[in-house]
Amino acid sequence: MHPIPPEEDITALAGHRFPGGEYTVAHWENVLLTGCTGAELLPGGMVHPVALFHLPIAGAGTSIAEMFALGQAESDLSIMIESYDWELFDELYEAVSYHISGEIVSAQRCSQENGALYDRLVFQFEVFSPQQALVARTTITWHYTRNTL
Amino acid sequence: MNVAVGDTIPEWVMESVCPERMRTMAAILRDPNPIHWDRAAVGALPLGLGRRTINQGPLGLSYMVNMLHAWTGPGSIRRIVMRFPQVVLDGERVVARGEVTAVRDEQQKRLVDCIIRLEHAERGVLLEGNATVAVQAS
Repeated sequence: MHPIPPEEDITALAGHRFPGGEYTVAHWENVLLTGCTGAELLPGGMVHPVALFHLPIAGAGTSIAEMFALGQAESDLSIMIESYDWELFDELYEAVSYHISGEIVSAQRCSQENGALYDRLVFQFEVFSPQQALVARTTITWHYTRNTL
Repeated sequence: MNVAVGDTIPEWVMESVCPERMRTMAAILRDPNPIHWDRAAVGALPLGLGRRTINQGPLGLSYMVNMLHAWTGPGSIRRIVMRFPQVVLDGERVVARGEVTAVRDEQQKRLVDCIIRLEHAERGVLLEGNATVAVQAS
């Protein structure tokens, strides 16, 4: 059995802001990413939207590992995805330095029908162009399961 | 582009989910989770999945992106909300499908709302959600 973190440790995460910063998708990175999806490279240096997972995370100055650690994940294997919500207000392009901000907008202790506890964390990131226009907003909702594995 | 409620989006097929692509993706994402690159780690889980790596959520989502791009063109996607009721495993053949649920005009753009899903022939719906794309009004 893993110790379950105190509920107040989890709820206190709401409002946590990441440092923020810049991220630029290089051509090689877009080629590899797009190839992983099974698609052809998009025209005109357009970045495949699949970048909207790691671009905001890295650009906001955090990492998947830190996001796991913030919620006191029992292990990498204990994280379950509830949903990803990607809003795109403009296309993303290679070699553009985007500014990203990010925060935890919700952190709650929840229970399943069988009584098993889990913690539900909602991360939100915003991606801005060099002209400060909002290009994309992404919302990641993960469940930090407790003692299910 | 003529689009109407009830229209079916042309399906997009991933013939075989590739474990090597998961490994590349894990490196790019800096994703430490071994379920994406270590078959033994997945085999040890009490989930009955066998020794097959689990596709990253964003990669499954990308198949929906590819379906929508093939239908309405790159740059057309305005929003995707994706839920993950089942995992996608290496070697699986999966098919992205969708239907139009609403067509609306907003700020001089025609927006098309869709339900979308990723299906496996035996295991059913693996991913499900909604998308909105912008199209040229015909």
